[in-house]
Amino acid sequence: MTSLTTFYLSSIIGKEVFGADGDAIGVIKDLLIVAVPSGLNDPTQQLVIGIKLKIGKEVKVYSFKTFRVVKAREALSVTCINLIKLGDEYVNNGLHLVENILDKQIVDLNGRKLVRVNDVRLVTLPTGTYVVAVDIGIEGLLRRIGISIPIKRFLSLFKINIPAKFILWDDVQAIDFSNLNIKLSKSYAKLHTLHPSDLADILEDLGKKSSTSVFSALDEEQAADVLEELETHAQIHIIESLPIDKVADVLEKMPADEVADILDEIEDEKAELLLREMDTKASQEVRELLEYPNNTAGSLMTTDILSFKPELTVEDVIMELRQKKPESPELYSLFVTEKNDKLVGTFTLRDLVISEPQSSLDGIMKSEPVFLYDDQKVDDLAEIISKYNLLAVPVVDRENMLQGMVVVDDVVEDLINKRRTNKR
Amino acid sequence: MIRTRFTKTTFYRNIVIFLALFGPGIITGSVDNDAGGITTYSVAGAMYGYRMIWTLIPSLIVLLIIQEMNARMGIVTGKGLSDLIRENVGFKITFFIFIGLLLSNIGNTTTEFAGVAGSMEIFGVSKYISVPVVAFMVWILVVKGTYLIAERIFLIFSASLLTYVVSALMAKPQWNEIGAAIIHPGISLNTQSITMVIALVGTTIAPWMQFYMQSSVIEKGLKIKDYKFTLIDIVIGCLMTVVVAFFIMVACGATLHPNGVVINEAKDAALSLEPFAGRLATHVFAFGLFVASVFSATILPLATAFYICEAFGFETGIDREWDEAKEFYILYTGILVISAIIILIPKAPLIAISIWSQVLNGILLPVVLVTMILLINNKRIMGSYTNKPFQNIIGWSAVVILVVLSAALVIMPALAD
Repeated sequence: MTSLTTFYLSSIIGKEVFGADGDAIGVIKDLLIVAVPSGLNDPTQQLVIGIKLKIGKEVKVYSFKTFRVVKAREALSVTCINLIKLGDEYVNNGLHLVENILDKQIVDLNGRKLVRVNDVRLVTLPTGTYVVAVDIGIEGLLRRIGISIPIKRFLSLFKINIPAKFILWDDVQAIDFSNLNIKLSKSYAKLHTLHPSDLADILEDLGKKSSTSVFSALDEEQAADVLEELETHAQIHIIESLPIDKVADVLEKMPADEVADILDEIEDEKAELLLREMDTKASQEVRELLEYPNNTAGSLMTTDILSFKPELTVEDVIMELRQKKPESPELYSLFVTEKNDKLVGTFTLRDLVISEPQSSLDGIMKSEPVFLYDDQKVDDLAEIISKYNLLAVPVVDRENMLQGMVVVDDVVEDLINKRRTNKR
Repeated sequence: MIRTRFTKTTFYRNIVIFLALFGPGIITGSVDNDAGGITTYSVAGAMYGYRMIWTLIPSLIVLLIIQEMNARMGIVTGKGLSDLIRENVGFKITFFIFIGLLLSNIGNTTTEFAGVAGSMEIFGVSKYISVPVVAFMVWILVVKGTYLIAERIFLIFSASLLTYVVSALMAKPQWNEIGAAIIHPGISLNTQSITMVIALVGTTIAPWMQFYMQSSVIEKGLKIKDYKFTLIDIVIGCLMTVVVAFFIMVACGATLHPNGVVINEAKDAALSLEPFAGRLATHVFAFGLFVASVFSATILPLATAFYICEAFGFETGIDREWDEAKEFYILYTGILVISAIIILIPKAPLIAISIWSQVLNGILLPVVLVTMILLINNKRIMGSYTNKPFQNIIGWSAVVILVVLSAALVIMPALAD
């Protein structure tokens, strides 16, 4: 007997447990581990703490401490010294390997995608039994129908290996919690390491219930980033399945032009309710954007822009930027305006960096810049951006007052969408 | 202020919603009238005249109930039927269902290529040219990712199935006899007619359609408030299926049956129409058969590969590279190639293949139906949208009738011996 025994979940489920006297006690239905990670790389989060047994007609969860898994000549046997009932608190907050993991979709954090679990690999050490990895390969499937070993032997005659595909437990995030009374924000903690657009792709592939519960576990900042990256029908689903105040909080964290795009897609009444729930400043910006008809510069522009008076020096501007810490798209292009917000010039970060601290803006700015009118139809925006090598184009109204800018990211996104619709 | 923008776009948006929502039911309904369907309806009409038309009514009811369940499951859960089965029913049943689905759909796809071969032969094109060319074009279409455009073109072409209405009217059917046959349904208790009833039901309600319907509902991103529109879409789709089936049976029943013409293939039906309804009717019939066959030959292998990969957790999707989704492409290409090759083998047992794939369908259908009814009545999955009692009654009755008919088919020859 070795001190290390590895085995698969599928090979232990449905097995009988034997007592110290050799009598059969019951049939194994499920194993439990602690769901909420207490911190990364902590082995206790992989420890099997409970076992669900069917004894007679009753199914109950017992502590795993008194159980032993032994492998002798390829045959597994499970023995138990005495039965101790596991506390409800553990049962309710535990992750059930069969119910929540096996055959379910989980997130592969390294591959940044959803995968389906074919089996779970466990190991018994002197200190306890631990979950090691999930099996997502073909071998796991064959094992489930009990033909893995014969097929492997047969294929080995032709020197063909069935490649095993495992993901370490540290790199997976369970999604499907049927016992929803556990604290989700903690349970989904590992998802915070993912980039918002990867997370958005995953949410789109999930079922409706799971995508809503994963989304509501995100904090507002991250939720805003993810919502921005979602495809339209997924955005609508999320917005319609969450409470208004929660959605409004998330929308406030998003750029006004993105919010306007989303609100344009949902029902008018719902949009109005959301706008009323949002704080006045944020909703006012969105309302203004919503007035522009589709495909005009105004409907595409962002209103998060930075403009400065012409007499300011480079040093003043840099000080102000340090204080405001703007998001990076806001810095694509910086604007110089006279009184009444009249646009007189543009300058870039490069201009700031290479100029003397004391030079004034009207000395370094590019006057008579390329601009768009807010009510102007824009079908060839990509051409303008590419022709003048711009990261952003200012948008003004007919009185030449600066209203916002269209940034290259939105133009690219628009192009991709157009191409996709053509392809379809 | 905000109103102005919204009202301006309302008209446009309604059209978009309309176009976006209508589709799943209608496409499923059109794919349903594939080469196998056309063959079965023609053979039934030629052999039994108008006496089998009544089977379309129970078929229609069951079809409606099933497709509504699929649409509802798709809308509520946002998950495909294969996902739901894998997650809730256990792996062994999943494995059985999908191996069955794979085999029966290879058979079905073979039937589609038989339809391509047969219809093109009427226009004087050898099957050794038509089948490889169509198979290759279908393959390219999907692998190059222009599939969605193709789906829409096919949908327009599927209107050509209405040519069967023309064929039927040209055959000058006896409407009073048809009416009488529907009002007094009857079935002779012999193996042959029971086989025909099973074949008719089996071809109208094929197991793979349930998977297809549910996925297209999800792909459209339908929501529960769109449910009314979806229901209309389903009713139109199911009616289309049944109306086309009706007219094929009428066309063959009016011309071939009184003259005692026996046919085995849809091609025979098209050819036999000529002396009674004219050359045009033959060509019209053959054209409809060709379009239907190509349409289904495109969708069937794709759908099958997709559901199997979904259930077994392989990467899927035509937007992935070959290396990323190897299993998917191997399955898809394999189904197409195997089916096309079977047709090209001289003296291949085509009739046996089509009978066996229908028998498989017949065994699979109750299994899929039982799983579906269990899933849709599960509150944890469906919340407050579980089945109403009448839906369960119709669903379970369909299961019982199908099982009894299939059992009868197995037992009766044994008793006769």
